[in-house]
Amino acid sequence: MIPNDGMKPVNEDKRDFLKWILSGGLLAFVGSVIYPVLAYLKPPPQGDVEVSSVKACKLNEIEKDSGKIIKFGTKPVILIRTADGQLRAFSATCTHLDCTVQFSKDRGLIWCACHNGKYDLSGRNVSGPPPRPLDEFRVVVQGEDILISKKT
Amino acid sequence: MDRVRSIRRTAQLIVMLTGWTILAVAGDQCLKCHEGLGDKPSVLFKHDVHYRKGVSCAGCHGGNAGTEDMEQAMDKKAGFKGVPKGDDISKACATCHSNAETMKKYGSSLPVNQWEALQTSVHAKLSVKGTEHIAQCITCHNAHGIVPVRNPQSPVYPLNVIKTCARCHADAAFMRTYNPSLPVDQLDKYRTSVHGTRNLRGDPKTAECASCHGSHDIRSAKDAKSNVYPVNLPAVCAKCHSNADYMKGYPIPTDQFEKFSRSVHGIALLQKHDVAAPACNSCHGNHGAAPPGVESISKVCGTCHALNADLFSSSPHKKAFDDRKLPECETCHGNHEIIAATEKLLGVKEGAVCSRCHSESQNIKGYGVAKTMRELIDSLESSTRTAGMMVDDAEQKGMEISEAKFKLRDARQARLQSRTMVHSFNEQKFRETVEKGLTTAQIVRSEAEAAIQEYSFRRIGLGIATIIITILAISLYLFIKRIERKQQAGS
Amino acid sequence: MVLLKKLYDWIDERVQLENLVHFLGKKYVPIHRHSIWYYFGGVSLFLFIIQVLTGILLLLYYKSGEELAFESIQFIMSKVQFGWLIRSVHSWTANLFILTAMIHMFSVYFEKSYRKPREITWLTGMLMFFLAMGFGFSGYLLPWNELAFFATKVGTDIAGVVPVIGKPIMVFLRGGEEVTGATLSRFFGFHVAVLPGMFTVLLGIHLILVQRQGMSEPLGVEDAHGTPKKTMPFFPNFLLRDLLFWLIVLNLLAILAVFFPWELGKKADAFASAPAGIKPEWYFLFMFQTLKYIPAQLFIIDGEVFGILLFGVGGLLWTLVPFWDRKSSRGEKNRFINYVGLFIIFYMIVLTILGWIA
Repeated sequence: MIPNDGMKPVNEDKRDFLKWILSGGLLAFVGSVIYPVLAYLKPPPQGDVEVSSVKACKLNEIEKDSGKIIKFGTKPVILIRTADGQLRAFSATCTHLDCTVQFSKDRGLIWCACHNGKYDLSGRNVSGPPPRPLDEFRVVVQGEDILISKKT
Repeated sequence: MDRVRSIRRTAQLIVMLTGWTILAVAGDQCLKCHEGLGDKPSVLFKHDVHYRKGVSCAGCHGGNAGTEDMEQAMDKKAGFKGVPKGDDISKACATCHSNAETMKKYGSSLPVNQWEALQTSVHAKLSVKGTEHIAQCITCHNAHGIVPVRNPQSPVYPLNVIKTCARCHADAAFMRTYNPSLPVDQLDKYRTSVHGTRNLRGDPKTAECASCHGSHDIRSAKDAKSNVYPVNLPAVCAKCHSNADYMKGYPIPTDQFEKFSRSVHGIALLQKHDVAAPACNSCHGNHGAAPPGVESISKVCGTCHALNADLFSSSPHKKAFDDRKLPECETCHGNHEIIAATEKLLGVKEGAVCSRCHSESQNIKGYGVAKTMRELIDSLESSTRTAGMMVDDAEQKGMEISEAKFKLRDARQARLQSRTMVHSFNEQKFRETVEKGLTTAQIVRSEAEAAIQEYSFRRIGLGIATIIITILAISLYLFIKRIERKQQAGS
Repeated sequence: MVLLKKLYDWIDERVQLENLVHFLGKKYVPIHRHSIWYYFGGVSLFLFIIQVLTGILLLLYYKSGEELAFESIQFIMSKVQFGWLIRSVHSWTANLFILTAMIHMFSVYFEKSYRKPREITWLTGMLMFFLAMGFGFSGYLLPWNELAFFATKVGTDIAGVVPVIGKPIMVFLRGGEEVTGATLSRFFGFHVAVLPGMFTVLLGIHLILVQRQGMSEPLGVEDAHGTPKKTMPFFPNFLLRDLLFWLIVLNLLAILAVFFPWELGKKADAFASAPAGIKPEWYFLFMFQTLKYIPAQLFIIDGEVFGILLFGVGGLLWTLVPFWDRKSSRGEKNRFINYVGLFIIFYMIVLTILGWIA
């Protein structure tokens, strides 16, 4: 290609324009990579992974004669510790109309606030509308940790 | 020798013929003799339906009824059984009563399955002696003075059945030997019931023990085949109570069973076989059967629906209803045809029960409360529904939304609790319950919204990044071309 | 620009960069109709770098151990800003990396670039390829989800079938008799420390050799003097073209991450039964499917053992091709090599498809 005086300014412009676009593009590209990485490095507000649905809590976090609702995947599970220290876990979904049950210390059983359904501490429906007992879950104690898993 | 034998034979024949003739003329010799002795069975037997039909003592006891001679009559070889003991008694009855042909011969239209039915019943269990059934036929029907059921003298005539059954079932000491946990107060309770009082006054149409429990095939109430097993019971009550002809003369409707079958309770019990659902006896009582009084309806419903009953009892409606003799729960929910209670019952619009008493010109305060409550619960319902739809949308888009879904349960639960809280008829309490649900639904909505926005953000972000990269790529390509052009020019 | 020059001079005064720059300036890349395949080595390298970078980022939030592994990935996908992007890129890149590595391997094979003097380059490449499979297998388990758990179980079971040494290898891999949290810990160690270390060493050797020996040309392209007919300078031409290709691949990754995010599935449950139709990732599928077709008993040898030994021997022969392909070393065409290669490619594709639709 024979350099042409007339063309030169245009080529120069072209060259500058291309260099300009290239640099700009490169900068934008680098920015579009760095931005997500920096955002990623910033710790999210929640701070940390939530306790697993399988590992419920520590032994010293649940008192005797009390109950706790644990999230097991997408379903609630009620973990109870009887007055004599036994640990049991049941599905916390009431078999009547799916409300979440609770441990009732004064009644000495598992109670559903919606329609006064009552289950004994073995999950059996003893009074009120619930037609079936609560599904039982396996409770295993590993050291200080209480693990809940599905019953096979 | 032959001659002697043939003479003896002829003599026997003459004697037999004479005997039979005498019998035909003289009748049941057993009876004649025993009557003379003055023993009770023979006195009773004279009134017995079997006697009238021509059955002799030998018909059940065996032996020869035609001869006066005791030895001959009660000869084992002639089939004499003596006084049958234990199951032999019923077997003796069954010899004829379970044989359709025999029964036809006597011109009877009685069923022939009683013995069979008895053997499946709880009364066929072995008695404490261990050698026979608890009950034999004669336990209820008597032994010698048996009369048909329609005969007012019969122990199983409707007006007498009670006493017959109570002979054992009201005897605590006796029942203890078989089933200590079985109550023995049925008779007492029965006497307080509508059936019982009418029965006492002499109405044979009204229900007595056998009407519900059956006569021969009586099973325990826990037995799924029993007439009084909860799933089967409503049909048993309906046998009379849904029969318009039978119930003519009694001032009560006959559509209860039909209505009940359509109700929530009926569908649960009769179709889904949920024995926790109420049968007729759950609300009316079984032995002490009577409709609950107006002031006690909420207590009866409250045996299961405890929360609603408590709320109602402490609400202003309790006094208002009782004063006007309105049947509490039944006023709004019905008695037999109770359908699922939805929001439609609440409020002041078409189909709502509140407007039956509350209007803009009458009981205005209640009108306002009803209107507000309906509005609140409707807003909760639509809020929860929107939240649910948004969660589904986010899930469809592939976003991680399990926590919001979990919270949605609480919003749905608030709706159920609000429906219960209606029964306080207290706007403040109701509002509190609804607000809890609304707050949760709002949280779920914002989380779902955030997830959906994130979805769009990712796509927009990708678009921008792609544009940047494309521009960069093109300019890089042009740059390469330029360098190569320069190189070619240079070389 | 002036700043860069100043920086360059500062370093040059201390390290003598001139020699290196001069050497680099002399590098050329042959241009012929098979030149396109030259890019695949570079793309593989690029994808490996992406894996290292995204892997390091994931390490900042991933929690090893069966109680928290799954949940930590859930956390990354939903709570960490752009976590979804980093994780999906990492998972997609793993697959693309193995794919481009395969393309690179086969293109080198068909060009016979493994011939003298490049035998070591081929060997290090093959070892890296096996390590890449190891990366894939170990990394797959790290989310501790249902699919991964059972895939690992099946995979290590197969390893255990090898006669004599199989069982000890299996126990070594699993950290016990069964797949448990111990397996997860081990695989994590392999994936982020052991394998990267080994891979880096091999990569270093591989790249240095490529730099020292330059690009190989297909037989017949060289002229009488041993120099190719057409060339382009490695720096800046080939490099810039490489970068362009890399840019496009990066964009492709972003598109995949947004429109086909990598699934997480359900958390592993050792007591649940295996889901129906469990199968390994696509790059193991052809071997997995082959094992299914071998009858249970072949004479006195167990079918599975036979299959594994077959692949073992096959892999060994493939790796040692520079040493038994005499013709290529002499500069002659070798049709046989081509046929073998085509057959293998055909076989792999068909078996993979069969495994997929089964």
